[in-house]
Amino acid sequence: MELPVIWANYISIGLFLALGVGVWSIPKSAVVPEEYAGETWRDLRWWATGLILFQIALYTFFR
Amino acid sequence: MHPIDLAVVVAYVALITFVGIRFAQRVKTAKDFFLAGRSLTWWVIGLSIIGTNVDTNGYIGASGNAYSIGIAQANFEWIGAIPAMIIAALIFIPLYWRAGVYSIPEYLGLRYNQAVRVVAAGIVVTVSVFAMGVAMWALAITLQTFIGWPIWLGILVSGTVVGLYSVAGGLGAVAVTDSIQVCIMFLCGLIIVGIGISDAGGSASFVAKLTAENPTHLQAYLPSDHESYPWHGVILGLGLVLSPAYWVGGQAILQRTLGAKTQWDASAGMMFAAVAKTFVPVLIVFPGLLALVMMAEIEYPDMALPWVIKNVLPVGVSGLMFVAIIAALQSSIDSSINSTALIITRDIRHVLMKNHNPESDLKIGRILTLTLLLSAMCIAPYIGNLGGIFNFLQSLLSLFQGPMLALLLLGAMTKRATGTAGIITLVSGVLLAGILSWVVELNMLYVAFFTFCYAVPALWIISGFTKPHSDDHLRNLTYSPWANSNANKPSAV
Repeated sequence: MELPVIWANYISIGLFLALGVGVWSIPKSAVVPEEYAGETWRDLRWWATGLILFQIALYTFFR
Repeated sequence: MHPIDLAVVVAYVALITFVGIRFAQRVKTAKDFFLAGRSLTWWVIGLSIIGTNVDTNGYIGASGNAYSIGIAQANFEWIGAIPAMIIAALIFIPLYWRAGVYSIPEYLGLRYNQAVRVVAAGIVVTVSVFAMGVAMWALAITLQTFIGWPIWLGILVSGTVVGLYSVAGGLGAVAVTDSIQVCIMFLCGLIIVGIGISDAGGSASFVAKLTAENPTHLQAYLPSDHESYPWHGVILGLGLVLSPAYWVGGQAILQRTLGAKTQWDASAGMMFAAVAKTFVPVLIVFPGLLALVMMAEIEYPDMALPWVIKNVLPVGVSGLMFVAIIAALQSSIDSSINSTALIITRDIRHVLMKNHNPESDLKIGRILTLTLLLSAMCIAPYIGNLGGIFNFLQSLLSLFQGPMLALLLLGAMTKRATGTAGIITLVSGVLLAGILSWVVELNMLYVAFFTFCYAVPALWIISGFTKPHSDDHLRNLTYSPWANSNANKPSAV
């Protein structure tokens, strides 16, 4: 059976959610050097989270 | 061309040349030339990555595609880039940086063996030389279309400008000029959006006019029987194979991260590039949609962007937009030339010539940069006669991406992959891709996916029968953040 095109959006959103889980499985010490430990903006996992949420919004809107 | 537009173009060329030559004074060693002396900060790296990434096909071709298929063209910037860029920033860039390598083939040489390094370097150089010729030709065509210059003059002038800063200033000059070029590109993109939506009578009116005639132009995916971009192919081929291979293994892209001041700057640079990449469709997709809304009378889709520049933008701004197109092309040519010169100097010359003198790398690098530039200028006039060159380049890339990604992925994430298995998988994977492309005549998106599906188990199984490297050798070459995090200094290079 052929899946409707809308499933491409659902699969994309699922992939981005899985990526988000993967990002937060990386320990903070591997992302932020010790000398920057107190600076939240240097934690690239938050940058990645923002990007992922924005992508989910795009694939929710353009369907 | 209006005199004001021409003045804008001349001012841009003077600025880029001045900045590039200023950087030349800082270049004292091969590390300065190829890695900017490891001095690049995250925002310069991020902008430079986008400058390298948005090329000929990206600017004029993507607007034309958007005219034909709508917002689905943006998949190349969204699912076809963002996930891979995040993975590159958090996993692969820290790995390359800690390994202290100059290039991706050098990493493959350390992780597998020198045969893999030379084959990978050969692949990168082959693709780059074609890509440079294409970009140079497209630049000349652009100059011919807008100013009426003959092709040879366009190639001569654009080649000379690129040569002045990339031969003299190396990666530092290339990265900073790329950053200026990207700022110009985004400024022009925003101006087009502002003027376009205003002319259409507001955003609601714009959307209504667009979807009245083209109801699927605001849908992110196309049906599974679409000839060029079926949604399965976009997710499996582009999202899961071609895009990761490009963003975790593309030398021209990653070279500026290897020139970062710190490992954090390298990763943050890629992450910042991902933020900018999210908005690239504003630059390259919107003009195609605008041409549709404005009922542009054009002969073929690739004329969408030139039509918008000619009919929508006021004097001065159209000159700036013309500059943005030149900038997109120049920033791709200069990056390709610099990274190709690096790979020939270190990954081919150092391996094949046992008695090489590392002190001469800077001189050799500059000579190679100039030679590659002249080669691209000589090839460029003939590229136009080949026909369908962009599709050919994409097909050529899809031949190598599946096996290369398998080698990078298993090499970085496991200690099992061996050197012998690496070279067997790489060569057999490329052969399989050739058969799928030219004998079976499969869509390139599926070629990339199927060769990746072949290469991963092949590498895994053959590695079981061959001798692996020692754990000690693999310590800085495999990713294990839970065991060894926070090494913020590269190995000796």
